[in-house]
Amino acid sequence: MEWVAGLLFLSVIVILLAGFPVAFTLGGTALIFAGIGILTGTFSGALLSGLPNRMFGLMTNQTLVAVPLFVFMGVTLERARIAEELLETLSALFGSLRGGLGISVTLVGMLLAASTGIVGATVVTMGLLSLPTMLRRGYSPEISTGIICASGTLGQIIPPSIILVMLGDVMTSAYQQAQIEMGIYSARTVSVGDLFAGALIPGLLLVGLYVAYLMLVAHFRPAMMPPHEPGPDEKVGFLQVIHALVPPLGLILAVLGSILLGLATPTEAAGVGGMGALLIAVLRKQLNLERLQEIMRSTLRISSMVFMILIGASIFSLVFRGYGGDDGVRAVLDSLPGGVVGAVTVVMLVMFLLGFVLDFIEITFIVVPIVGPVLLGMGLDPVWLGIMIAINLQTSFLTPPFGFALFYLRGVAPPEIKTAQIYRGVMPFVAIQLFALILIAIFPELVTWLPDKIYGP
Amino acid sequence: MPDEKNNNRMNRLDRFSEITGQFTAWLTLLMVVVTFVIVVMRYVFDAGLIWMQESVVWMHAFVFMIGAAYTLQRDEHVRVDIFYREMSARGRAWIDLLGVLVFLLPLCIFLALKAWDFVAFSWALAETSRESGGLPYPLLPMLKTVLILMPAAVGLQGMSLALKSLAIIRGR
Repeated sequence: MEWVAGLLFLSVIVILLAGFPVAFTLGGTALIFAGIGILTGTFSGALLSGLPNRMFGLMTNQTLVAVPLFVFMGVTLERARIAEELLETLSALFGSLRGGLGISVTLVGMLLAASTGIVGATVVTMGLLSLPTMLRRGYSPEISTGIICASGTLGQIIPPSIILVMLGDVMTSAYQQAQIEMGIYSARTVSVGDLFAGALIPGLLLVGLYVAYLMLVAHFRPAMMPPHEPGPDEKVGFLQVIHALVPPLGLILAVLGSILLGLATPTEAAGVGGMGALLIAVLRKQLNLERLQEIMRSTLRISSMVFMILIGASIFSLVFRGYGGDDGVRAVLDSLPGGVVGAVTVVMLVMFLLGFVLDFIEITFIVVPIVGPVLLGMGLDPVWLGIMIAINLQTSFLTPPFGFALFYLRGVAPPEIKTAQIYRGVMPFVAIQLFALILIAIFPELVTWLPDKIYGP
Repeated sequence: MPDEKNNNRMNRLDRFSEITGQFTAWLTLLMVVVTFVIVVMRYVFDAGLIWMQESVVWMHAFVFMIGAAYTLQRDEHVRVDIFYREMSARGRAWIDLLGVLVFLLPLCIFLALKAWDFVAFSWALAETSRESGGLPYPLLPMLKTVLILMPAAVGLQGMSLALKSLAIIRGR
């Protein structure tokens, strides 16, 4: 009955396009398939009886507790207007250099995104924040929109993003399953810390490549990114720079550093980070009861959204497995020419295409549990695979005409910017992404070196 | 007249979701504070408090389970909105009405029924935390009861969404 599993997968994708919330569509469709299967005797109803226990397992999952805490930290930093001040200061500092403003926006995007890790939110915030300034200072619409889309999506792979936390959790169980199937019972584990460490060098590599590209453009096409002579009231003093830069940067470095050095678990670091973000907000006189309530409610809604998808996806994968879908996927991946390389290439291509309709959270919870154990069973490194998936999806979100980021930016860009200009602007960044992806495929050490160094091979 | 009655009922459902959500949201702050305290206790006093760590995990469960109905009321459960966003208000209302009737309500009823025995068993057993030094009775059965409360609350909020969609479809 493997074809039913395939049909379930395709049906879910098609039905999701109607636009009803993902969590309920996933669970509901799977349930209907299970119901039909039970009536026709092709699906064992006993498979569903473990569901409450499974859901309770999700509720008490230790790793994922870090998600709401990181969200709290990110939302607090956002509401404390950290990004605005950072951008103003950096652009006043570097705006007089060729391409200086563009590079400032890239760096702010990286820092801002690192603290929330939610794609749409970051692209929208960056769009509202920096697009008007860039256009006013004579930046071409192409380069401006390209910078925003690329740096806004970068956040998913710059730790500490919540996406890496979720991916880490899914990879842990996929890795365990793969090793048990290979008959290795003294299973090695992969942690969220491993993923954070593995993402660091590729993330910085991408930032470096973006900045290098912007410098090239600024040098050879100065008209696209003209320098800006700051007015007398735009000069910033040393103290102002310290004030804007040190607290958020210090906070993120402290959170990340304590995880990488093994001083704290991601959950603990996220909690302390949340406290630090509150402190920054208080010191900047940006916190009152009303804003605190906004922060808490926003955190609650984002967490609930994420975890309802997780519940929907776990019902889906239960039914998918019940129909033998995982065996089907395994058979297909095993039969591909080219062995591991062939399998990885096909999985990456499929994920890239799915990235046009599904967001990162859905793909992490729906697709990775299905293909993860098979690929890891072929001997791949789980951290490497996780980072490849992350960069691949980021690329997908940038790719015209369906990339998520482009839609989000279109929503907040002024109407005189043509969609074709956004597409043209983002293409060089897509090329950079593909280049980085190939680089990491050829040199896996870019990912694995740091985790090995920190946690031992 | 019957329409007005419908209206009142769905406003009350919305209000209920909103109040539970806003109340539960305080737990997010409490989670941050307690986690911070745990870290301080560990580093400064070298004390590990299992019940405190457990309380953060359980608060998290309450947050996302009880918050689900409120999130639905605020329409923040993520949608794949490539086409949805381009639709007319009536088109969207149709999607929401059908989605609630075909997916959301059956799912919620199924989850609540499935969870019933699981939860009842936990109460009957007067189950306590598996960790020694964990949280006392009756917190674990209470936590498991959320497995019934979540689908019940989301189901009610779903009905409100269906009623509102119906009102839009009938052109009001």
